[in-house]
Amino acid sequence: MKEQDSIPTSKTERSAKFVKTGLKVGGNYIKHYSKKLFNPSLSKDELNLDNATDIYASLSELKGSALKVAQMLSMDKNILPKAYVDQFSLSQYNAPPLSGPLIVRTFSKYFGKAPSEIYDEFNIRSTNAASIGQVHQASLNGKKLAVKIQYPGVGDSISSDLKMVKPFAFRLLGMSQKELEVYMTEVEDRLLEETDYDLEIKRSIEFSEACRDIANVVFPTYYPELSSKRIITMDWIEGQHMKEFMNTNPSQELRNKIGQALWDFYNFQQHELRAVHADPHPGNFLITPDGKLGIIDFGCIKELPDDFYYPFFSLTSTDMLKDKGMTIKAFRQLEMIRENDDEAQIEFFYRLYKEMIELFAQPYMSNTFDFSQAGFFDKLYSFGEKVAQMPEFKQARGVKHFIYVNRTNFGLYNMLQNLGAEVRTDTWYPHLEVAV
Amino acid sequence: MNKEMNTVEEIQNAYIDYVLTKGMKPASVYVFAKENNISEEDFYNLYSSFEGIEDSVWTGLCKRAMTEVQNQEIWEQYSSREKTLAFFYALIELLKSKRSFVLYSLKQSGQTIGTPSILKGVKILFEGFASGLIEQGVESGELANRRFLTSKYKDALWIQFGVILNFWVKDNSPGFEKTDEAIEKGINVTFDLFGKSPLDSLFDYGKFMMNNGGMKPNVKF
Repeated sequence: MKEQDSIPTSKTERSAKFVKTGLKVGGNYIKHYSKKLFNPSLSKDELNLDNATDIYASLSELKGSALKVAQMLSMDKNILPKAYVDQFSLSQYNAPPLSGPLIVRTFSKYFGKAPSEIYDEFNIRSTNAASIGQVHQASLNGKKLAVKIQYPGVGDSISSDLKMVKPFAFRLLGMSQKELEVYMTEVEDRLLEETDYDLEIKRSIEFSEACRDIANVVFPTYYPELSSKRIITMDWIEGQHMKEFMNTNPSQELRNKIGQALWDFYNFQQHELRAVHADPHPGNFLITPDGKLGIIDFGCIKELPDDFYYPFFSLTSTDMLKDKGMTIKAFRQLEMIRENDDEAQIEFFYRLYKEMIELFAQPYMSNTFDFSQAGFFDKLYSFGEKVAQMPEFKQARGVKHFIYVNRTNFGLYNMLQNLGAEVRTDTWYPHLEVAV
Repeated sequence: MNKEMNTVEEIQNAYIDYVLTKGMKPASVYVFAKENNISEEDFYNLYSSFEGIEDSVWTGLCKRAMTEVQNQEIWEQYSSREKTLAFFYALIELLKSKRSFVLYSLKQSGQTIGTPSILKGVKILFEGFASGLIEQGVESGELANRRFLTSKYKDALWIQFGVILNFWVKDNSPGFEKTDEAIEKGINVTFDLFGKSPLDSLFDYGKFMMNNGGMKPNVKF
């Protein structure tokens, strides 16, 4: 793999990168339309693919939060055209690494020692990118370790990054950026949390402890004494990423087992811990040789406050949707219907969101759900496409918590679909004793 | 020998102390020698001038940085690019301990075009070091061997030396973190330019077509 040539960090440099992408994307349109002159049947797929490739190339050079945004965009398959998604998914795996001497320097800054003095072995070439950091293999006392190192200056550049991405990302999604401030703040908060490795190691230990009893889920041991603001040391988990795993043609039984572990892991957190690992992209999971699900990244945790939890899960998991008055009340609490909406708007959004929640809650409606059936996802995607084209949805709606909750749940559904798993969906129920 | 080394270092330290407390060079070697209870002859045996002392402080730092990185276990695994990066990180770390002197020395030497006289020794040392790394890089294929340019690569690295040094002088970020970034970027850019690029292929292709593609310059119309 080619080493990272440079990380543009100052705002001007980053702008330059985006401007370049903008120009390229513009160029792709010209290319598209000139080709179309000769071949009127040309579909937009190629254009989308060209655009996505250029955007991805640009984003992956930016690293840090921009890469994070790329990952996030790729989660929402229902919004983005397919070609974008395929390219953005790349960012979930490999991004080019930083130079070896800077790694050595990071270690000597935080531990006063070179990595070779801390570990018995340390591989200076990183094995994986972790979006705001990179992962190195090491060993100590016969134990194989994964050492995650954060890129310098990530925290500083997140705000300026997001400001950059904002107009760009929303032009891409065809939305206005004005009212997205509250959402961007939410994203910024989560991202800043993710740069706090002290917090991450604390949470990793807490969550892996709390989730210990879930069947077929494994966590690495974390080593706080070998970790710091910029470095996290944990056990190395052997395993395959989902794509590799699927390439080995695993049996339906095994796929169901992994799928069940995923389902239980997420629903246990949502309902028992009220805080959830909100980064369900395939890069954060490994399937171990003995057929278990390894979970390796707790950088992004979304807490679910009561004023979100109760109305949201009452909608998905009770008969509330049958009661129009109650449903609208919950929609109002979740700001899906707003104060100043008129009658027609209330009716419109009521019907639309009801349809959406019914779709979303489908897996919960029976004891088991087969995520391999295409019908469910086709409906989900076509609903997403329909909504994306509605002028009413140019405005953002819903409380900010939806960003990460949607991302988590769609991410979960996506992975279960990729696995083609059938899972029991009645393992962890919402606790809704406190009435709405 | 040992005694002499001590004297070299003693004179260096006495000189640094003098210029940093008084903010200027001693009036003459005579004054300086007298204050430090050595004879002028002793002084001239070791240094020909005050500038010579400054030069030796600089080369001393530079040499130490080189030895330090070369003694790192990982050194042999590094590419030329990484070796260069490692050298600069080590140098900047060492300069930290002598920052006041560095600031003084660079300020005194003034804004001249080209290399300040106090860095002449460092320049020779560094260019030797850089040439070695470049040679390795060319041999391993990491760097492109360009007929007239390869011998200029070390000059480009010397320019980076100056840029990084100046950046560090003005850097006021905590722990000089920005300088780290300046090193990472600057050296990477420089080595990218040294590496094989599409232009090399284009040039090569052009040459080939000129010779074989019937595109010989033809002025007949």
